[in-house]
Amino acid sequence: MRVGIPRALLYYRYGKFWERYLTELGAEVVVTRKTDKVLLQKGLEYVSSEVCLPVKILAGHIADLKGRVEAVFLPRVVWLEDHLYACPKMIGIVDIARMMLGKDVKLIAPVIKGGFVLPYLAAGLSITPNPFPVVRAFSRASRELNTRTAVPEYEPGEKRVALIGHFYNLGDDYIGRSITSTFTSNGYRVCLKDELPEAVLRSRKGFARNIRWVYERELYNAFRYLADKVDGVCVVVSMGCGPDSLVAEFMREEACRRNIPFLQLVLDEHTGVAGLVTRIEAFVELAERRKAVPQAS
Amino acid sequence: MKATFPHFGYDTYALKTFVEDLGAEVVLGPPASKRTVELGVEHSPELICMPFKITLGNLIEAMEQGADTLLMAAGARKCRFGYYHYLQEQALARLGMRYKLVPVAQYSPYAFVFQLIPSVFHVSPVRVVRAIAIMLEKSLLTQEFRVLLNRKRAVDFREAERLKKPALEMVEQARSVKAIRRARRGLDRMFSCNGSAAPGHNGRKPGLAVGLVGEIYMMIEQFANQEIEKELGRLGVEVLFERSLHHHLLHLLRLDRSYFRSQRLARRYLRECPGGEAMRTVGESIHFVERKKVDGLVHIFPFTCMPENIALEALQQLSEDSGVPVLSLSFDEHTSRTGLLTRLEAFVDLLKRKKRVQGSSRN
Repeated sequence: MRVGIPRALLYYRYGKFWERYLTELGAEVVVTRKTDKVLLQKGLEYVSSEVCLPVKILAGHIADLKGRVEAVFLPRVVWLEDHLYACPKMIGIVDIARMMLGKDVKLIAPVIKGGFVLPYLAAGLSITPNPFPVVRAFSRASRELNTRTAVPEYEPGEKRVALIGHFYNLGDDYIGRSITSTFTSNGYRVCLKDELPEAVLRSRKGFARNIRWVYERELYNAFRYLADKVDGVCVVVSMGCGPDSLVAEFMREEACRRNIPFLQLVLDEHTGVAGLVTRIEAFVELAERRKAVPQAS
Repeated sequence: MKATFPHFGYDTYALKTFVEDLGAEVVLGPPASKRTVELGVEHSPELICMPFKITLGNLIEAMEQGADTLLMAAGARKCRFGYYHYLQEQALARLGMRYKLVPVAQYSPYAFVFQLIPSVFHVSPVRVVRAIAIMLEKSLLTQEFRVLLNRKRAVDFREAERLKKPALEMVEQARSVKAIRRARRGLDRMFSCNGSAAPGHNGRKPGLAVGLVGEIYMMIEQFANQEIEKELGRLGVEVLFERSLHHHLLHLLRLDRSYFRSQRLARRYLRECPGGEAMRTVGESIHFVERKKVDGLVHIFPFTCMPENIALEALQQLSEDSGVPVLSLSFDEHTSRTGLLTRLEAFVDLLKRKKRVQGSSRN
């Protein structure tokens, strides 16, 4: 069976696990190519212009799989532990995918509510009916799941910037590459939220416990954790992202209070790389000037 | 205590009666206007959705008139709406006014009756239950008012607009269950058999019917949706709707049958609830198309609304499957009235033409 995985959205978090799992099950796995302009354009034809950039990209990847595979693997995260929800679009995009693919392509969409073991096993059974290889495949694949517990080390004297943004934005080279590389070429070490252990990211302390979106809580916790370890905070938001429009505001408020340089970049399909680079360079200069005159505020 | 809350279309009267029944004085700001939106936009994050901006503007204007206790609905968790009050509190704190913001969590009737409302208004739960009963009755009245008004507009637009003011006064004055019931009968008389103006008088029946679906705030607050019901009525279209405060209250009490029906119907397109009111929007649309046989659907939501954008895709599919045209309109503070009217006119023309073609092919 040829099973397709779109290289977008949750792929950047769980992709390796999915690939391994499906391969172990004996499926022929087709992962779409890296995002490019053609895929994005394809996506724009299928979804409304108001949804956020990563969802448009995902639609493009799904459209690209159409006709090439027998089934598409697209898990649906509704909520993870502690009733932390995924965003409405992430939940709903699976239904959009079903409408896009039509009846010819099977959609394998394990619904994850809390625990993820059972839904994945059930999804595995729809590929091979025998439960033993499914369990074996799952246990082998779960080694690929990210179980980081160590905190990255931050050396003194190093210039650092916290790049706060979703893994599906920063992980996608088409969106995030120019941002990361601009900071690196200016001599900054980029601190991402995905380097932090889960214990930090899912912490319930402080205001974070009021945020009931799982990936937003991670962003906010990463911001809180990194804020005093870096020279500046850059928040990357995609236009039309509902949760980010709120959580970025909470972060901005706090950054203002704690006097941390703060930059919010809003991305959509019309964003030009040159504009981003200019803004980042201006931000870097500002952060450095402030560092040179510490009590200038 | 001078309590206030954001305007909520005609249902403002129902909410006002509720708060007054709890023994508080209600200070409402002026109805939403251009200034309200400007105030709201000034103190809002740039990417937030439109209901936030208008409700914030409402609260600020009410505070200027002396309100000190702000009641702001809160609740749903998958949608941004559940977080409004945190940001509004931040924004109001920046303004430096004296106030108390009470997030009214809706989704637990028990906590609402026994903890939240008694602690804010210092009343007994019995009184809260009584106030809720009256609010239910009154919201039914406002809902009926909207239904009658929409029907009347489609038949005789001028007469409907003339009747609107006295009818609204009648709605506002009714305060007890008995008076509300009397007002309901009064409205019925006023809009239907009063002299000559029965629906279908002069032999004219409303030619077209359109189902209005979408996000609840945009559906109810007539300022936010730029009086879309009125404009459709002017074009001779009867607007059917289901989303109202009454249904919402019943839903909170787990008694709303239309909600369960919508959930069931919507499964055809959405297998999992994406949050907000997407399931209801889709379910209601299917209901309108299949049972009520509407000629078209108008779907309204705030710009970048997450759940409704998912619903939009489902509605496109529904439109393809059933052949009923869907007009999706997203609103924000930049939505131009002229543009909106042009789109509505074009849509109604399309519906008329479609109906004519279908009618002639059937004969």
